[in-house]
Amino acid sequence: MNNRLKILRAERDWSQADLADQLGVSRQTVNALETGRYDPSLPLAFKIARVFDQPIEAIFSDTDA
Amino acid sequence: MNKNLTPVIVRSLVGLLILMALLFVAGVVVGFLSAKGSLDADRALVWVVAAMAVIIMTGGMVVTVAWMRSIDEAAQEAHKAAWFWGGTAGMMVGGILIILTVLPQARTWAIPSGFEGRADPAAYAATGGAAMMLIMVLGYTIVWAWWWWRRR
Repeated sequence: MNNRLKILRAERDWSQADLADQLGVSRQTVNALETGRYDPSLPLAFKIARVFDQPIEAIFSDTDA
Repeated sequence: MNKNLTPVIVRSLVGLLILMALLFVAGVVVGFLSAKGSLDADRALVWVVAAMAVIIMTGGMVVTVAWMRSIDEAAQEAHKAAWFWGGTAGMMVGGILIILTVLPQARTWAIPSGFEGRADPAAYAATGGAAMMLIMVLGYTIVWAWWWWRRR
């Protein structure tokens, strides 16, 4: 799965730690999400969407689609 | 540090202090009653150690559950993967060692006991159990580190 997390975070000038704080996860988890090496659960994906005020499909895209 | 972890650490330390106090009180009570001759000290020791073992293991489980709930989902996934893949691989290695004991030669192997050289059945059983746990924890640690290394 691809995602635009890094871009969205950079647009807001947030550090990984800032985003991690808002999502209630560790900075390592944010890094794993941004590099696409960890796919979030649905609840976390919804939380990410809320934090960036965007629909989930605007943040995540299915590489198989 | 994960701020959800702080209450877990604080409660663990409090639990440990309570346990130490209980051990102290139990020691004093057993010592006092056995000195008066109203208690068999050996039998009391069995009950005290058994009770402490149950308390320590139950407390350990409670702390582990609280800690598991305090970490985020990626960290939980790392531990789940480590438990399944690392623990299973470790159990496989331990299983090989267990199967080797069917060999006739195994009857004469000098196997060291992990309990100050004790060679009684209980010491050997505990050594075997501890060895299996150690191998599983080793597998667990390797897979846990690999999981995060792959996602760095």
